[in-house]
Amino acid sequence: MTDYKAVIIGGSAGSFQVVTKIVSSLPANFPLPVILCLHRLKHVRSGFVEALSIKAAMQIVEPTDKEPIKTGKIYLAPANYHLYVELGNRFALSTEDVVNHSRPSIDLSFFSASYNYKKKLVGIILSGANKDGAMGLKSVKENGGLTIVQDPNECQVPTMTLASMNATQVDHVFSTPKIVDFLLNLT
Amino acid sequence: MVTDEDVQRFITAIKMSSTYDFTDYSDRSFKRRIEKLLVDNHMDINQLTLKSTKDKDFLEKTVRDITVNTTELFRDPEMWITLKYQILPKLKKNKSIFIWHAGCSSGQEIYSMLILLHELGMFEQAKVFASDINSEMLETAKNGQYKYRFNLGYLDNFDKVIKENPYNYEQTIQVDYEKYFDIDKVKDTITMKQFLREKAVFRKHDLVRDGNIFYSKFDIIFCRNVIIYFNNKLQNKVIELFSNSLYRDGYLILGAHESILGTVANNFDRTKGFYKKKQF
Repeated sequence: MTDYKAVIIGGSAGSFQVVTKIVSSLPANFPLPVILCLHRLKHVRSGFVEALSIKAAMQIVEPTDKEPIKTGKIYLAPANYHLYVELGNRFALSTEDVVNHSRPSIDLSFFSASYNYKKKLVGIILSGANKDGAMGLKSVKENGGLTIVQDPNECQVPTMTLASMNATQVDHVFSTPKIVDFLLNLT
Repeated sequence: MVTDEDVQRFITAIKMSSTYDFTDYSDRSFKRRIEKLLVDNHMDINQLTLKSTKDKDFLEKTVRDITVNTTELFRDPEMWITLKYQILPKLKKNKSIFIWHAGCSSGQEIYSMLILLHELGMFEQAKVFASDINSEMLETAKNGQYKYRFNLGYLDNFDKVIKENPYNYEQTIQVDYEKYFDIDKVKDTITMKQFLREKAVFRKHDLVRDGNIFYSKFDIIFCRNVIIYFNNKLQNKVIELFSNSLYRDGYLILGAHESILGTVANNFDRTKGFYKKKQF
């Protein structure tokens, strides 16, 4: 049994295929909630969950405000909202201004998740074209959680992973198959 | 770095010295906005607390900044399309339609609704009320003037809701923006037409503390992306107020990703963000 309580994944440009690979590899009985914070086109709302769901054994949902966080589900930050993890293991949504030109902001989701889960959090940063997520991953590290970035050599756009590696001493730099292996070993 | 205890002390000080009570606001995002406010004002939490309790104008600014005021014209077009084709036609036969925009912020939602009502020939019968916790926001809403560049993208939303018909792609309705607002690209403004600006009744109102101040019941209450900033307890209290303020078969419209938890949910039938008050 794993000691972790949640996995949080941030990604932007070039991360969709990696995310698809990861969610399609996780078994229905994966023992942790998986929180996906991805930058998406603001007006593309529908279709994304459906597209991921076809490939995934786990249930994928866009959480509503105050929804309890449950094991075995994949939660996708809704477009045009920031997604926070609140005390009491629930989500909270916010329409505050964009952060790092983004809503959802990966940093904000990571900050709140690391505050809530402390060392029992796995944070993963994938391909992306800006630095949103770097401070968030740093916060995971500072709270004692485990930090992983996708290998920048493999990323379609490595800006986000390189910024994360600059911001903090990450625990692992993994290719996509390694990320999948790591997660499967948590079961 | 602001601690949870700092935030609690700030909330207590504000509560003691004013009518504002942020006790039941949602924790994480509230704390984050306090932190941002400190950076923007070059203050520490003690200075912010002290100045907010002594200086009324400063307190109003603080309230403006820690309540969230992001809104846009026709935000979430799907909601407006449902309203246009499923909800409003049912109300058209009513002599009057009472509408409350609770937490109207800078007012784009009010003007979106007024434009839609006008397009459906329901403008005259609509009685429109709007409220917000912050007096500056109410002024902005009343003035009906917005930054053009900032709102430029939302003209797409206008087109989707007003000009296009999702049930008949071949039909487009020709509506000029000038019918409803003036665009001045040099001054960088969008200004709502006077007949729209004169329509709504604006009142300062705090959902934490105040009841229904309009002495009316409503056919539609909008409260979108407001209760996400409240904890469960306060959410339930506010939903109860809305439930009591709606006519039977009236609609409460929440944000796309908001939901009603707890027993008060039993008062409503839900379809997406629309909550229809049940008959008892």
